[in-house]
Amino acid sequence: MAYTQLSDSQIVQLASQGCTASDWSGVSVAAGCDLTRIVRSKFFGTVRIGDTSGSHVVDGVELPSGIYDAALANCDVGDHVRISRIGSVVSNYLIDLDVLIEDVAALVADNDATYGNGVELETINEGGGRGVKIINDLTSQTAYLQGMMRHSKAFNEKLQMLIDAKVNDSRQEQGGVAQGARILHCGTIRNVNIGLKAYVHGVQLLENGTIMSCAEHPTEVGEGVQARSFIIAEGARVESGAMLDKVFVGQAVKMGKQFSAENSLFFANCEAYHGEAVSLFAGPYTVTHHKSTLLIAGLFSFYNAGSGTNQSNHMYKLGPVHQGVLERGCKTGSFSYLLFEAHIGAFSVVIGKHYANLDLSNLPFSYISEEEGNSKIVPGMNLVSVGTVRDAEKWPKRDGRKAPDRRDLIVFDVFSPYTVEKMRRGRDELVSLSERVPREKISVNYGGAQLSRLLLKKGAKFYSLAITKYLLGVLMEKVKAALQAHPEWNEAIAALKPSAGLHDPLAWTDISGLITPQERLAELEVRLAGGAIVSYEQLLSECKSLYDGYRADEWQYIAEVFAREYGVSVENLTKEKLLAAAEEWESASLSLHGMILDDSKKEFGAFARIGYGLDQTEEGLQHDFEAVRGTIETNAVVQKLVSEAAAIKERKEQFKSIIAAA
Amino acid sequence: MDKSEIKSRVEKVTALVLKVDPKDISPTANFAFDLGADSMQSIELIAAYEEEFNISMDEQKAREVQTVEGAVEFIAGYVK
Repeated sequence: MAYTQLSDSQIVQLASQGCTASDWSGVSVAAGCDLTRIVRSKFFGTVRIGDTSGSHVVDGVELPSGIYDAALANCDVGDHVRISRIGSVVSNYLIDLDVLIEDVAALVADNDATYGNGVELETINEGGGRGVKIINDLTSQTAYLQGMMRHSKAFNEKLQMLIDAKVNDSRQEQGGVAQGARILHCGTIRNVNIGLKAYVHGVQLLENGTIMSCAEHPTEVGEGVQARSFIIAEGARVESGAMLDKVFVGQAVKMGKQFSAENSLFFANCEAYHGEAVSLFAGPYTVTHHKSTLLIAGLFSFYNAGSGTNQSNHMYKLGPVHQGVLERGCKTGSFSYLLFEAHIGAFSVVIGKHYANLDLSNLPFSYISEEEGNSKIVPGMNLVSVGTVRDAEKWPKRDGRKAPDRRDLIVFDVFSPYTVEKMRRGRDELVSLSERVPREKISVNYGGAQLSRLLLKKGAKFYSLAITKYLLGVLMEKVKAALQAHPEWNEAIAALKPSAGLHDPLAWTDISGLITPQERLAELEVRLAGGAIVSYEQLLSECKSLYDGYRADEWQYIAEVFAREYGVSVENLTKEKLLAAAEEWESASLSLHGMILDDSKKEFGAFARIGYGLDQTEEGLQHDFEAVRGTIETNAVVQKLVSEAAAIKERKEQFKSIIAAA
Repeated sequence: MDKSEIKSRVEKVTALVLKVDPKDISPTANFAFDLGADSMQSIELIAAYEEEFNISMDEQKAREVQTVEGAVEFIAGYVK
């Protein structure tokens, strides 16, 4: 944009409007700059001012663009900007088109600031050693690689080089307020980049940070927020007195109601209200809504914290070095406590207080409760809970990210090679224990919890049903697709041969939302450590390749497990075997489904009615309950489950017809 | 096996798993309301009956049984 220095008459005009300058020769204006819209303002150093035409709506009132009651030092002000009522100064900022800055104490940037980039967060372990440097395009995967892959020095050094290069790229001479951003009624903002169309209102203090934002999903930072050393990603909403110190807030995260966090990461779609987080690695969909909840020194994802949930451990001897892992999909009940170190299996529910160091990774989908001070586990029980079904359905639907680049790579599947392989291990361990434990024994100790001997076979049965349902369900889909692509039977069956090329298809990992074979992660580790990955962007691309390859890798897992469980490879399947598989799939699916349906109906049983129809007749109670909760017949979740039973049978019959016709 | 024996063994197992006094177990006692069984204990109870009578029950139907006498009737259907 072309700017011209002020003429003598223009300087006189501005002075007559109450403006001053340290040196008027440093002030220049663009064509279209209406000087009548620059009033009672002070200019220091080099200040360039664009076209002041247009207006902004402030608190419901349309006010003209321009500069009013403000001090500007070394700033570039774009077209159609309104800057008004600045307490001290707007200094060293590049202010883009259509920006509104109104009633702000100060907006100041230092030379060479990195705007939160490069700040190291002591995540997962308060004692350190798992530091994660935050950068604008941090993902849950690259944070996991930084925090959890500490076994390889060469890998870590190379990874840090890529991150440091990004930090250097973020170094700027001037701060930026991007096009269309609005900053209203705020306290001091120092060294903060503010992104496209971001809405910042009523914040108390922002220091050393970046608010990323985009037209598709503007970011909002609201009343009473205090944030130091932070990055907030697109579409996030941080408001109502949240206090952040060394925090990364991912895309579409919601945070507020005085939530406080330090040294913590929150990735896509997390929700955090009221409580506290310290050294928390909150993978995608970590949710904490209630007061007195402290999430500390742990790795979580797809997690739901009940009120008063806590893992704080002051019984330490060598400092706060304890850490915990709750694999994806866990829930903790109100006032539950977990002594860390602990490792809880995926999709487990924790109720009560647990003072033993639990290691239950191989028993996913379990209920872990407390009885007389001891931890008890019911393996596989969460497989037959309607809550798990509801969770599985809600996560993809609640992906609130609207930014074009959804940075965190998320495999939503509840049943995946990761969870199913854990179930296979769990099943085998339970079967083995059931054969060894004498009948006189009431329970066995498993991973720090008491496991009733009676539940050994029951848990193994739940896992077997789920494994069968998953394995044969995917197999049926794959065969159906193969027959559509290759009407000739032999060709279709030959096409089932996996092409992923994994050497160990049974070992999988969950990189904070991205489920992938361990072998793929190891390959990435070798490539990075060996210098084959030379930029952060290339690293992101490699992670995307893992994500894109998930279905092919999953199929190789299924083919391998099918061969192990059924003694036949998928390329040698016969029609008879597939028909038998369909029957077995139906049986397992209906068994699990029946138990889930039964569980859902309990939500309408006698216990559910306690507290309804107060001081009324039985009939009144019934009507009150139905008015509030509905009935089994009208509840959408239950009715969907009811219809699914028919769908299971229909799917089997349809599959059998396809096989018969092939 | 006659029903009186099934009843006696059901009561014994129920008392053991739910840690209740056998005297509190009446035929009409509801597992949840009267004997305090939670959902986790219900699963353990089914497993205990299966072991006691050496049977394998339909899990879903077993979980629908609410009373001690209901359990006796249900198990009688599996025991010859």
